[in-house]
Amino acid sequence: MSSKPFEHRMAAHCESGTVSAILRHAGMDISEPMVFGISGGIFFGYFESKKFPFPTFVVRSRPGRIRANLARRTGVKFRSERFRDPSSGERELDRLLSLGVPVACQTDFFYMNYLPDHVRVHINVHFVILTEIEGDGYIVSDSYSPGLALLDRDSLRKARFAGGSFAPRGFLFYPVFIPERIDFRKAVWKGIKSAAFQMVRLPVPFVGVKGIRLFSKRIAAWPALARDTEHLSHEVMKINVLLEDQGTGGAGFRFMYATFLREASAMLGDSDLRGMSERIMEIGDRWREVSLFAARIGKRRDLDRARLGELGSMINARADAEESFFNDLLDLSKKKKY
Amino acid sequence: MKEKEARVDYREHQLILYVEKKDGTYAPMRTGSYIAKEYIDDFWKKRANLEREYMEKVKRGEASPIAFHMIVEELTPSELASRVRIPVRKVKRHCDPVHFGEITLEELVRYCEVFNVPLINMLRQIVSNKTGVRIKDEKCANPFFGTLSIRVGGK
Repeated sequence: MSSKPFEHRMAAHCESGTVSAILRHAGMDISEPMVFGISGGIFFGYFESKKFPFPTFVVRSRPGRIRANLARRTGVKFRSERFRDPSSGERELDRLLSLGVPVACQTDFFYMNYLPDHVRVHINVHFVILTEIEGDGYIVSDSYSPGLALLDRDSLRKARFAGGSFAPRGFLFYPVFIPERIDFRKAVWKGIKSAAFQMVRLPVPFVGVKGIRLFSKRIAAWPALARDTEHLSHEVMKINVLLEDQGTGGAGFRFMYATFLREASAMLGDSDLRGMSERIMEIGDRWREVSLFAARIGKRRDLDRARLGELGSMINARADAEESFFNDLLDLSKKKKY
Repeated sequence: MKEKEARVDYREHQLILYVEKKDGTYAPMRTGSYIAKEYIDDFWKKRANLEREYMEKVKRGEASPIAFHMIVEELTPSELASRVRIPVRKVKRHCDPVHFGEITLEELVRYCEVFNVPLINMLRQIVSNKTGVRIKDEKCANPFFGTLSIRVGGK
């Protein structure tokens, strides 16, 4: 590993941005959309469970899969480790940093105190890169921060060893092997096939296109689940946050996926992918209309049955568009040779 | 999304969006958060109302400070229990002001770590009728002790 200065760049999403940045530092120049696309990160899941204080949805694959799937499809190897004991986790991190190795860590987003207060929530799947030790803290390269930030030791310890769902248990990783030649054609098409399969073929009622349809129907029942109008307004406006602001690159990752398909089209000289990239960009534009509509009706407290029905119809139209898009993408991935 | 539609002037909350550039290429663009710029006041207003409502419940003995922080931080009893490393039934009991007194000091410290508040703030509310008062809790190596510094005027 080299001890060259770490180049910080903002990214749309923490996990794909972290993987892209740490690989770039190690000498593999791969963009964030390419990391996201090869890993098959695009997804949809609608969840109503006691684990969540209110129904919610996700627009990306399970945390950790971006790194794991990218490694499997490109041959890149990461060394990763979890720790039972926070002290040993901290010692190992300090040891690596003292050797000049930038290290990616899984954290609880709540403790990233260099970010604005309104974005910091308890969620255990935030990825950052620690680049060096400074005083009683660490220099952090966080995809959501415009520049390198300083995080105190106590906050990082709490963030790395928080309990709860997806508890990080001090998880850290860094690349140890990058193949000289990577078969990007195979990696790209495998990523596309797995993403399209998850969106249209998984026989689970709350994931993929079925999940979008479930979301469109269930939103009419949200008023009965909310404490009061302000709570309902908050949850409806969170649709905008989850689609646009919470590290998606806009439109629930659809714009980033369009960028991936465009980049893959140029890399592989495949005009079919260019056409598909335009289609998903257009789908993303309509998702953005959903999120803007949700923000507006939430702000106005205009949340009666008719208005939520209108929102549900807009979401259902996205399900129709994505069903057609991902079916075509799946067919395409089956026709191609790789 | 076209580049010009994505541009939002809001330095306080920056993010990356993927957009269609003027030349037709797709690329990342750094911009401000639209929802933060347009709706942040509404967010804080709702948050303040929620805090006020639950603080009144705490004062009337209808909710415990644990319930207050759990609601404000949007946690469920099961998620909180897992973070504090105690059974869910215990969290539910601690949310009830009648049983709040059963909590051990060690458990309270663990709750405070999750909520990121000083220990003593679980048992009191700080209010001031003056502007320009800076109140800061300072930690020390002893997890059961802290310093509340109150500064008025000056820098």
